[in-house]
Amino acid sequence: MTMAEKLTLPATTLPPDTDRRRLGFRLTLPAQVLVLLISLFPLLMQLYISLTDWSPLSGLMWPRAWQMWNGLANYADLLSDNRLWAALGRTAFVMAVCVPVEFLLGLALATLFMDEFPGKRVLYSILIMPMMVVPAVAGYMFFMLFQSGGPVNDILSWFTASPVTIAWLSSPTLALTAVMIADIWQWTPLMFLILLAGLMGVPEDQMKAATLLGAGPWQRFRTIVLPRMRTIIVIALAIRSIECFKIFDTLFIMTGGGPGVATETISVYIYKITTQDLIWGYVAAIALAILLVLSVACIWAMKRLAR
Amino acid sequence: MSAIRLDQLGKRFGAFTALHAMDLSIADGEFMALLGPSGCGKSTTMNMIAGMERPSAGRILFGDRDMAGVAMGRRGVGFVFQNYAIFTHMTVRENLSYGLRMTGRPGSEVASRTAATAELLQLTPLLDRPSAGLSVNILQRVAIGRSAVMEPAIFLLDEPLSNVDAAFRAVMRTELKQLQRQFRQTMIYVTHDQLEAMTMADRIAVMDHGVLQQVGTPLDVYNNPANVFVARFIGAPGMNLLPGVPLDTGAGMAVDLGPLGRSPVLPPAQAAALRGAGGPVIYGFRPEQVALAAGGIALQTEVIERIGARTIVHFSGPVKVGPVKVGPVKVGPVKVDGVKAVFDNDLALSVGEVAHLAPHGGDVRLFDAATGRALGGH
Amino acid sequence: MAEIAFRNVSKRFGSTVAVDDASFTVGDNEFFCLFGPPLSGKTTILRLILGLEQPDEGEILIDGRRVNGISPAARNVAMVFQNLALFPHMTAAGNIRFPLIERGVAADVIAARLDDAAGKLHIGHILHKYPAHLSGGERQRVAIARALVRDPAAYLMDDPISALDARLREETRVELKRIQREAGRTLIYVTHDQEEAMSVADRMAILDHGAIRQIGAPREIYDRPATAYVARLLGAPMMNILAVEAVSAGAVTLDGALHPGATDIGLRPEDLRLTPWTGAGPVATVAEVEPLGGHTVVTVRAAGSILRALLRGQPAFRVDTPVLVSCAVARAHFFGPTGQALSFSGGTA
Repeated sequence: MTMAEKLTLPATTLPPDTDRRRLGFRLTLPAQVLVLLISLFPLLMQLYISLTDWSPLSGLMWPRAWQMWNGLANYADLLSDNRLWAALGRTAFVMAVCVPVEFLLGLALATLFMDEFPGKRVLYSILIMPMMVVPAVAGYMFFMLFQSGGPVNDILSWFTASPVTIAWLSSPTLALTAVMIADIWQWTPLMFLILLAGLMGVPEDQMKAATLLGAGPWQRFRTIVLPRMRTIIVIALAIRSIECFKIFDTLFIMTGGGPGVATETISVYIYKITTQDLIWGYVAAIALAILLVLSVACIWAMKRLAR
Repeated sequence: MSAIRLDQLGKRFGAFTALHAMDLSIADGEFMALLGPSGCGKSTTMNMIAGMERPSAGRILFGDRDMAGVAMGRRGVGFVFQNYAIFTHMTVRENLSYGLRMTGRPGSEVASRTAATAELLQLTPLLDRPSAGLSVNILQRVAIGRSAVMEPAIFLLDEPLSNVDAAFRAVMRTELKQLQRQFRQTMIYVTHDQLEAMTMADRIAVMDHGVLQQVGTPLDVYNNPANVFVARFIGAPGMNLLPGVPLDTGAGMAVDLGPLGRSPVLPPAQAAALRGAGGPVIYGFRPEQVALAAGGIALQTEVIERIGARTIVHFSGPVKVGPVKVGPVKVGPVKVDGVKAVFDNDLALSVGEVAHLAPHGGDVRLFDAATGRALGGH
Repeated sequence: MAEIAFRNVSKRFGSTVAVDDASFTVGDNEFFCLFGPPLSGKTTILRLILGLEQPDEGEILIDGRRVNGISPAARNVAMVFQNLALFPHMTAAGNIRFPLIERGVAADVIAARLDDAAGKLHIGHILHKYPAHLSGGERQRVAIARALVRDPAAYLMDDPISALDARLREETRVELKRIQREAGRTLIYVTHDQEEAMSVADRMAILDHGAIRQIGAPREIYDRPATAYVARLLGAPMMNILAVEAVSAGAVTLDGALHPGATDIGLRPEDLRLTPWTGAGPVATVAEVEPLGGHTVVTVRAAGSILRALLRGQPAFRVDTPVLVSCAVARAHFFGPTGQALSFSGGTA
């Protein structure tokens, strides 16, 4: 290790390492306090309200919610709330389909982009575009696409002899499918970008060496690319899973959670009881419970999969 | 095992010609060095032999088989990259056995061949260690073993010692040479270090600007360089080259070196070459092949380097030779900052003194000043 | 003008001893080399001189002044980096002026020093160019000029030319020596290339795991190494070191008696003589012949030992030829049980 590699600062007085760390800590203290306040305060407020039966209709201001104290009753209630569990189930289903599909599609596209081909730049721009669209606008777009007399049905009619008039958004089963298609359309580009970055980090020399040793494309992918992309893959999956769990904008504009509760995911459910039933104590309890479970799941997953 | 033949091999990248039509034969079991400065086309040649680049012209033959259209992974070549390209996320064993596993060999065969190769390279105690973070010496052996276990027809090495500290280079050079003997592999070794080529190779192919300058054994290229480029590139320091004009002194042929005076009279072979010259010549002599004698070329001593077994003396007199045209390409300029000579350690000379250098007549080489090519045959 | 002195300096990183009780003095205008294998403490010593590390024990003096604890900026030593670290967005002149502008030196002084440095390093004609348009050698000289204009007490270089082509290294080291002489400053230079060290140094220190084994002029150390370790470090091919039993068994024929207390004997390859075996005396077999052109390295197997000889020119030895290996005992190095060199005995040492 030469001095050139170690030395990056000009020749000024350098305090030893511990001093530098302490100084850094002190300098960022105001920012740290601010962030803490902004994130911690709402959390504590939620915790407080979740232990009460408070609602804005009660006439009390929230600090006085203690007057409607009911302890852990909200938490007990949510365990037996069938609609909640159905919503969670639906959300899990959406995640289980969307995230892997987005991952595989993104990976395929990223692999394609490792080579040169005509029109690569143009295709790249086109691929990125879905991500840039405002989710609500995407929701409206797909709402129009999936109408009974809409473009999707028209295209399907080309393939079948007779006209297709599937009522996508009014059918309990197909509405969820439409929503998932919209999600995949919008977020595959993100996976594509992250995985492309990961692929580019695989040393080309090692790929060449593997080829010279007789490894075919799939073997190279399995033995060299995937192991080296482990951390990036975990990060991509984690990011996308968390976001997918919270799916709301696009879905709500497309179906409003309907027909009935056919596409009611957890976010939609919480939205509905917050804005329609206004039982905010209960809502707070649900939100906190989900936060807790997700945090634990995330930590467990990261520890197990990444290194 | 097979012999390799390059038949009018050429490579262009757009308008730039990396390699001009090259003919080269490499015998079975031979250690051939491709030697030349950066950008001379040696790595391009090797990449084409491995199949990583496609030739723009010419053919590559392994034995009798034309390799055109044979994919990279199917040529049976072992390749050691400059930075070894070890699969750092695998253990040593997994690295060594990689090729065998990927080509579907049965497990028992994989195990036994891996073990045998590891034994030969003294890697057995390290087999289950992760390959990341191992020393360069070990990595070199893993890189070689990984290719060797496949029993390739030919081994290609791309400047494998360039990342190694000077201290270790000598040790690793010896190891490489011994390994080559052991495996009896045909080996092609790319380097810019003429000492490496001289020490290890059976034959050296000297290249510059995409043109093959000369092929021969180390002593061939040292004793009988085909042109001024080879004369200068081989040897540490390279051959001294002084421009001059043939001169018939009456007592024999010599070279008029202008301000440096007259060279000593040349023996018959060199004299004949001089007589055949059509014009100005370049008078060349190696630093190790001079003696201090009265009547020699008078030069002022500038620097004396005493570096162990040898003493290198730098004389003043900036002299410029070239550029010259070798084939289709301009080679050089071959700039000669000053004359150098190598003596033993008992040299009694001091800085500032004027020395009289008498090159050994029989070792003097003459070159045509216009083309840079060697005059006369030897 | 500066004298740099280390007095019993030690430095530890955790449990590793990087510098072990090092003491040396670098004189004024001296080209001083720190030489040793990788991880022997050379770079750490350089960092201690520069002030980026503080010694755990001992004193560092620059110009008679104790500098322990004084910041690098106040020490007045300049460093030339291996990667040169030239600012790509400034011309050569801009780069050279930079350290002075930073320190608020007067404009006319800057101009004068720039001229001086440019003259010494012969870069006056390229001062207006950007680093991207300069050759490797020119860039190196600009980097050195930048260190020079600070008028430092000494300047330091850490392995500046090891990344260059072999040919360029040989030419550049002579350049560096010339520059140092003309600049008239103390230069402390780290390298692990023994030929390079011997070529450039006025004096050198041989390092072994942080400890200094020998200090002296290159020739002194080469001719009279203090230990077997030092003897092996200098010289290529490496010195042949044999147990004295091997010599008695006939590996080499010497023309005198061995040192009585010696356990090992060292013979430089260039001191060995090979003659065709005539039937008398112990026989050795040629194992390998490496023709280098001006010299030839012949490896022989003799009485179970392997010896390498460096012969002038291209003598006609072939593999498996029987030869006689001989050496003048005056050229032999004797080592005791701890590797310490013992003084010559016999001959005219």
